[in-house]
Amino acid sequence: MERLINTVQGRLVLMVLLIQAFLMPPLFLVVDRMVHRTMTDNFVDDVRLYSQVFVNEFPMLVDPNNEQTIVDLLDAAMLGGHSSYAALQIGDELYSSSLMSTSEVQRFREDFKFGDHDDHVYYLSIPVGDATPMKILRLGFDETPVEQNLTAIRKTITYVAVAFLILTVGTMGLVSSSIVGPLKRLQRASRSISSGDVDIELDSTSKIIEIRDLSADLETMRKDLVGMNARLQEEMAERELAEAERRGMENYLRQAQRLESLGTLAGGVAHEFNNVLQPIMLYTELALEDVPKRTSASINLKRVLDLANRAKGLSRQILMFGRREERIEFRPTDLREAVHEAVTMIRALLPATIDIRTGNDVAIGLVNCDPYQIKQLVVNLCNNAYQALEGPDDYISVSLNEVIITDAMGAAANLVPGEYVVLTIIDTGKGMDEDTVRRVFEPFFTTRDVGDGTGLGLSVVHGIVMRHNGDIMIDSEPGKGTRIRVYLPLAEDIED
Amino acid sequence: MARILVIDDEQYIRTALREVLEREGFDVSTARDGKSGLKLLEEEGADLVITDVIMPGIDGVAAMERIKQAHPGLPVIVISGGGNVSPVDYEPGAISTSAYLASADNAGASCTLTKPFSRRDLVGAVRSLLGAGQE
Repeated sequence: MERLINTVQGRLVLMVLLIQAFLMPPLFLVVDRMVHRTMTDNFVDDVRLYSQVFVNEFPMLVDPNNEQTIVDLLDAAMLGGHSSYAALQIGDELYSSSLMSTSEVQRFREDFKFGDHDDHVYYLSIPVGDATPMKILRLGFDETPVEQNLTAIRKTITYVAVAFLILTVGTMGLVSSSIVGPLKRLQRASRSISSGDVDIELDSTSKIIEIRDLSADLETMRKDLVGMNARLQEEMAERELAEAERRGMENYLRQAQRLESLGTLAGGVAHEFNNVLQPIMLYTELALEDVPKRTSASINLKRVLDLANRAKGLSRQILMFGRREERIEFRPTDLREAVHEAVTMIRALLPATIDIRTGNDVAIGLVNCDPYQIKQLVVNLCNNAYQALEGPDDYISVSLNEVIITDAMGAAANLVPGEYVVLTIIDTGKGMDEDTVRRVFEPFFTTRDVGDGTGLGLSVVHGIVMRHNGDIMIDSEPGKGTRIRVYLPLAEDIED
Repeated sequence: MARILVIDDEQYIRTALREVLEREGFDVSTARDGKSGLKLLEEEGADLVITDVIMPGIDGVAAMERIKQAHPGLPVIVISGGGNVSPVDYEPGAISTSAYLASADNAGASCTLTKPFSRRDLVGAVRSLLGAGQE
């Protein structure tokens, strides 16, 4: 009940009901009273007028000495005047209409107003003339038709009142629902906004100015909220991006530092190694000179010398990785030649069945580089790709392209924005998992069997790429293959 | 008979170089660091000096600068183990022998050899330098 009363609709309807409860009864009474009075007054006036006219005509029509004329006149009075009673008192004699029974004649009771004595007949007596004996005409008129009229009118008034009540309550209901409807829509919208769905547009088409203004204000708030939300999300996305970039950079730096210290350590090891190798090589050569040729001692010493030379090669590779101040000859080079030579070389080294595809020969700019090192880089990468191949359908693809690195890409790849040549080497072999990819550039890291590889190939590649101010990226997925991209900056002054 | 002074802190390298060069018919004397090498050069003289770059005390480059001051025409072969290692330890970022070799070049080294080199490399370098010096 309380819920019903405390709604806008409930309040308005209740208000209407209360107003009508206070207003209707007095209003009804007043109207009833007025109608009643008007009708009865008219009735009384009418019957009195009729009676007066009758009385005025009376002396001309009646012979006081002839009783029959009196009775006839009284009958005429009853028939013509719709009266229900007619009698004439002359002195002590009472003459009555022949249309009345004796008992009816006795009923006469003088009325002073409509409805007196509750006998539904209005009785009145009027003196006729002023001669003696005194003659008094008594007439009675039926009150019932007027009473019936009054009842009917009262009924009509009641109907009208009830209809008015229903109409007003209904109108209130409609009016209030035209207020409550938009309010409820606003409420639904604001609820969905508060539950996070801010994209619902608020309906501000209500005809009620206050509600329309409220809707418009709320809509403005919502739009602000949406804008703020969008800005916040944008900011968050930016922050996440910046954070990701920062993390990427940190990882890169950590990786670079690790590789650098590994390179330094490897360089130190190589230095000591070379100091040991030097006398081994020279002593072996001296010993070879001393022992007779084609003896097993001579053959074994030759083997020692070969192994020392192999160790020398290893040591050179370690130094390639570690050295940063290598005196290399950088010159503007067309990488297509260098790559072509390297691919020719690797084709000669690998089994003839290996499918090495070279990309379309698009013209690319010159790169300031040491062609020898670039060849070594290609050979090492192709050799690794070859090691990854599994089935007869697998292949290696080598291609060169020119790309422009923008700020955003450069941050991810740790490259200065600008023009680059990208060397892409793809193999469809067994691929690598994330852990392997993370470690491939470490010196001596190898996935091959012991003795099958040095674990230095990619370290050397990394060293070469870094010396050329480039970067190298590896995308690999186990079972699918590996794509390696080497970015090398274009030479700036090609004209020179 | 040409006289060659070998300066290297590694004993086995000294002895190996001595034997190789002696078999080629050269007169060889050796020193284990820059200071004693310089002293030996003053005392006994030499037609050619072979020196390591990274040594305790006076390193090869410093030694060679002094040699060049005292004997401007004397040919010097600089030998190096390669790698980026400082004379003291293996600290990251230490100066590399490439840098040493570069400064050795600037200081007037006649020739640089990177260890390990073969007997032929060494003898070829020595003979060409001595030949050039004599002609």
